[in-house]
Amino acid sequence: MTCSDVQQVLPDIVDGDAEFQSHLDSCPACSALVADLRLIAAGAQELAEAEQPPARVWVNIANQLRAEGIIHDPGPVSVRPALLPSRPRRSIVWWLAPVAAAVLAAVSYQVAHKQQPFQTKVAVQPATQQPAQSVTASQTPQSTPAELASPATKHPQQLAQDRTPSSSKTARPADSKVEENRVAAEVSPPASAEDQRFLTEVSERTPGMRSTYENQLRAVNGEIRDTLEFVRRHPGDIDARQHLLEVYQQKAMLYQMALDRIQ
Amino acid sequence: MKSWCIGCGSTGMARPKGRFMESIPQRSVVVVVMAAFLVSVAVAQTRREFRYTVGPHANVSVDTQYGGISVTPGDIDEVVLVAIIQSDKAEVDYQQSGNRIQVVSHVFPGADQQTGRIDYELRVPRDATVSLRSSTGPLAAQHLNGDLTMEGTDAVVDIHDVSNGHVHVSTMRGPVTLTNVQNGHVEISSISGDVTMKTVTGPLVKANSGTGRITYDGDFGSGGDYKFTTHSGDITAIVPASASADFSVHSMLGKVQKDFPLQPRYPHLAFEEGRAFFGTVGKAASAVVLRSFSGRIRLKQR
Repeated sequence: MTCSDVQQVLPDIVDGDAEFQSHLDSCPACSALVADLRLIAAGAQELAEAEQPPARVWVNIANQLRAEGIIHDPGPVSVRPALLPSRPRRSIVWWLAPVAAAVLAAVSYQVAHKQQPFQTKVAVQPATQQPAQSVTASQTPQSTPAELASPATKHPQQLAQDRTPSSSKTARPADSKVEENRVAAEVSPPASAEDQRFLTEVSERTPGMRSTYENQLRAVNGEIRDTLEFVRRHPGDIDARQHLLEVYQQKAMLYQMALDRIQ
Repeated sequence: MKSWCIGCGSTGMARPKGRFMESIPQRSVVVVVMAAFLVSVAVAQTRREFRYTVGPHANVSVDTQYGGISVTPGDIDEVVLVAIIQSDKAEVDYQQSGNRIQVVSHVFPGADQQTGRIDYELRVPRDATVSLRSSTGPLAAQHLNGDLTMEGTDAVVDIHDVSNGHVHVSTMRGPVTLTNVQNGHVEISSISGDVTMKTVTGPLVKANSGTGRITYDGDFGSGGDYKFTTHSGDITAIVPASASADFSVHSMLGKVQKDFPLQPRYPHLAFEEGRAFFGTVGKAASAVVLRSFSGRIRLKQR
C-alpha cells in the first residue's frame, strides 16, 4: 500500500475506516495529514451558527466609506446613462456595489462554512430526522418558544403552511401562485436601511422605476426570509443552503441592475 | 350616403347649420388630421445608420434605456447599426476603439419612455461578441456564433439559432426564450421572469428564476451540466425517449413528479416521497439538477 492509495480514500479514513491503519502507523506523513483533516473536520462541526450581522455593522461600514470620501450625499437628478467616458459619472451610487458585494460575501461565507465536512452527496432527510439540538434560542432569536420546543418535528409542507398567509393556504394551483407571491411581497417590507436607501436612490434617479424595484425587492426579501427560516429548521439540508446563496445572489443582481441603470 | 363627424358621436345625425364642419367634407378633415399626425410622427422620428469596419471577433455593446435592440448576422468585416430615434429628447453616443464598439442612448432630462426611446437594429459578423442592455426591450438575437450578453429590466429576451458561444441573460421581470442554442455556455438569471428553453444544449446550461417558471424542452445533449432552480416558480422538463441524463430533482416544499421510470441513483437511500428523486435514463451522459424551494418540478417524456 502506498501513500497515493491512502490519499485516494482520505475521506473514508477521516471518517474512521480502520482498513488503512497499518499504513498510517508506519507513515508519519499520512498520519499527520489524517490528523490534520480530523482536526479540521471537528473544528468545522463546532462552528457556531452564524447570524445576520446587526444593522449597526452596515451603518458603520457606510460611515467609514463616507469618512473616506468613497460615498457622498445625493447629487442632482440625471437620467443620463454613464457608459461613455466623455461624460462624468455620478459617484453617489458607489455604495451599492460594496453593499451588494458585502451581502454576497457574507452569505457565501455562511453557506460555505455551514456545510458538513466531506459530504459529497445530496441526501434529502425527512424533517423529522433533523437534529433538534442544532437549533438554539441564541441562534434563532426570532423563534417562538413553541417553535423551539418542537423545531423539527413538522413536515416541510406543514412548515410551509405555517408560514403562508391564511388566504393562500389552499392547494397550490398555478392560478393562485401570482396571488401568493403578491401576498408574500406585501408582508415582506424592505427590511434594511440599505434597501430603503436603495429605493430612495432609485426614485430620485428614475422615479418611474421605483415601484418596480420596490416590488421586486420585497419579493426577493420574502424569498430570503422564507429560505432562512427553512435553513434554521433544516440545518443539514445542503440544497436549502445553496438556495439561500442563490436568492442572495438575486438580490445582488437587483442592486447591480439598478447600479448599472441609475449611475 | 352616411357621413360622420368628429365629435358628433354617431353617423348621419342632424347637425346645426352654420357650423364649420358643415362646410367641409368631414372625411377629408379626418384624412388631413391623420396625415398631419403621421407626418409629425415621421418628422419627430429619425433614422440614422452607422457603419464600422471591424476585424475578427469584434466586440459590440449597445445600451439603451428605452427601446428594443435586435441583432442579426451581417458581413464579416462590418458592423451596421440603424438607430430609430423617437424624438430630440434622446441621441446616440457611439465610440469605436479598434475592434470594440460602444453605443449608448443618451436620454436628456425630461424624456420619458416614449420620447426617450431609441430602437436599434444591429448587423454584426457572426463571430462578434455582443452585449445588449435595455430596460424596456425587447432584446433579440439570432444566427450568431459569438458570445452574447443581454440584460433587461422588463425586456422580453428572444434568442434563437445561436451556437458555440457564451449566452448570458439577466432580467428582472422580462421573460426569456432560447430556441435552438447549440454547444453554448448558457446562464440565465431572472428575478420573476419566465424562462423557456427549446433545444438548448451545451457543456453548461444554468437557469435561475425566483418566481418565474422554467420550461426546458430538449434532450439535454451529451456531457453537459444542466442546473435549473427557482424559488416558487414551477420547473418543467420535457425530454425525448432517447435522452441520456442523470437527474437530481428536489423541491424543498413543492412537489416533484415524473411520468417515466428512471434507474434509481441511490437505491439504498430513502428520500421524501414526492419531494425528490434521483435517477438516470440512458447512459447518463449529462447531469441535470432541478431545484426549487416551493415550486413544482415535473419531468415529462415527449
